[in-house]
Amino acid sequence: MSGNLFRRTWAAQRGRLLLVMIALAIWGFLLPVVYATFGNEMGALARSPAFANVFDVMSRFTGGDVFSISGTVALGLVHPIALALVAIPVIGFAAGAVAGERQRGTLEVLLARPLERRVVYGTLLAATLLFAALAEVAVLAGILAGAVLFGVAADLRAADLALCWLNGVALFGALGAVALAASVSFDRSAPAMGIALGVTIVGYAINFLGTLWPSAAWLLPISPFRYFEPTRILAGAFDPLDLLVLGAIFAVAVGWAEWIFPRRDLAAPS
Amino acid sequence: MDAIATDGLTKHFGSRWPSLRRRPGPPPIRALDDLTITVRAGEIFGFLGPNGAGKSTAIRLLLGFLHPTAGTARLFGLDVATAGATLRGRIGYLPGGIALYDSLTGTQLLDYLAAFYARPPILRADLVERLELSARDLGRPIRDYSRGMRQKIGIVQALQHDPELTILDEPSEGLDPLMQRAFYAILDERRAAGRTVFFSSHVLSEVERVCDRVAIIRTGRLVALERVGALLAHRRRQVEARLDAPAPRLAAALVALPGVSSLEARDDRLAFGFDGDVRPLLRLLEGVPLADLTIEPARLEDAFLELYDEPAP
Repeated sequence: MSGNLFRRTWAAQRGRLLLVMIALAIWGFLLPVVYATFGNEMGALARSPAFANVFDVMSRFTGGDVFSISGTVALGLVHPIALALVAIPVIGFAAGAVAGERQRGTLEVLLARPLERRVVYGTLLAATLLFAALAEVAVLAGILAGAVLFGVAADLRAADLALCWLNGVALFGALGAVALAASVSFDRSAPAMGIALGVTIVGYAINFLGTLWPSAAWLLPISPFRYFEPTRILAGAFDPLDLLVLGAIFAVAVGWAEWIFPRRDLAAPS
Repeated sequence: MDAIATDGLTKHFGSRWPSLRRRPGPPPIRALDDLTITVRAGEIFGFLGPNGAGKSTAIRLLLGFLHPTAGTARLFGLDVATAGATLRGRIGYLPGGIALYDSLTGTQLLDYLAAFYARPPILRADLVERLELSARDLGRPIRDYSRGMRQKIGIVQALQHDPELTILDEPSEGLDPLMQRAFYAILDERRAAGRTVFFSSHVLSEVERVCDRVAIIRTGRLVALERVGALLAHRRRQVEARLDAPAPRLAAALVALPGVSSLEARDDRLAFGFDGDVRPLLRLLEGVPLADLTIEPARLEDAFLELYDEPAP
């Protein structure tokens, strides 16, 4: 890893990352507030025969709810708004990290330095993981702050929150590694971004379909989002297999990038 | 030890595997074929050829950006394929049409790029002064720089750490004549300090002005590799003689002299092309009633164009 490249990457990305972290913290903060304010009423509504089915479908779709503090935390992590916000600094950064520099012509200025391509890749991968870790910290910090301020934090266990964070970092680490693998494989940002977003959006859509539509449930195992389960973690049923599968996706993406990037020809930019 | 030594260096672009389509795909592009050159430590070496001749491909192979189809490239005796990062620590590189990090200021860029090297940027202050980059210029974001200023900062980043070998791709592009002169003086000092410079250029007068030796490539193949002086000595000079009085036998004698071509005789004026040793010509002209004699020096441009007029190898 190159400390100089890492510092430069951090300096270039920190503004965007900070904005996203603030947005995630606000998002996280609001959910316990909603739970503390309307949780009992919403819970009563959800238990009434007229709405039980609707709320059941909604909670299955999002993987969380606002009738319990654990459901609120889960909702904060798995809601599409939270996922999209985390994706900006992680997948957006990773997909453009190498292909974007190549497209702008600055990659050859960088690679003319005494740096192995593997070192460049390793540094950008470390930055991707750091961004994922910080984004997940921001949303959990917002949730925790809201829960403490509104007096609903008593039922939250630190170990469960840590596992939720780890599960989120594993998910976005895997998706970020796929995006970075695409980035080192192309000369332009568009195909790298297309692959990264394609894997993310298709993965999310499969998870969505498989969760709501029993006939499509067989598709669930191929979605990375299937292995992001804060609801189960907060219910005390953490499954290490989730981390193993996400780790395997990460390993395959890293393996591909480590193989292709040093072997690629970097012809003159056209 | 040679700074650069290539042996049969070859690069073909195109698919390595047979096409699955029924119709055959396009044939591989032979960007560089069997390039064998050596660049001695301490010389300024010019690398010439028109667009698409393979100059940038050769430079990219030397830097390890491309992997050769065949042959080897060695810098300071080390193979580029296995010691690329170590070697790049001893090299400075200016890409053609350099792209820079636009959000950084000039100083931030130079600091960032210098920090990758074990060598400190000991030449920066001198280069910045000679290329007339003021502290105010260096404090501005690069996105505000003109083309010439970008080129100057590109030259500074390539040379600031006093590299043993500098590879420059079209280095004087965008520089005004005063800055070109300052740049040539910098190159002369690199040579005097025993450093090696390898540069490609379209500006033949600049190559003639600063280079010790030149290689000329054409469609990926080396067609000439000589000292600039030797290359010019073989090339045709234009000679014009004006006579005070008629010399009826002179034209015939000139036609018989080896190296004379395209003779035109009109009244008191003789004009012809000449290549080779000039002494036999001067002996022939002894005793001829000359009013004036002009021998235009051979130019690299002529040599270059002659080589390109010949049928492709």
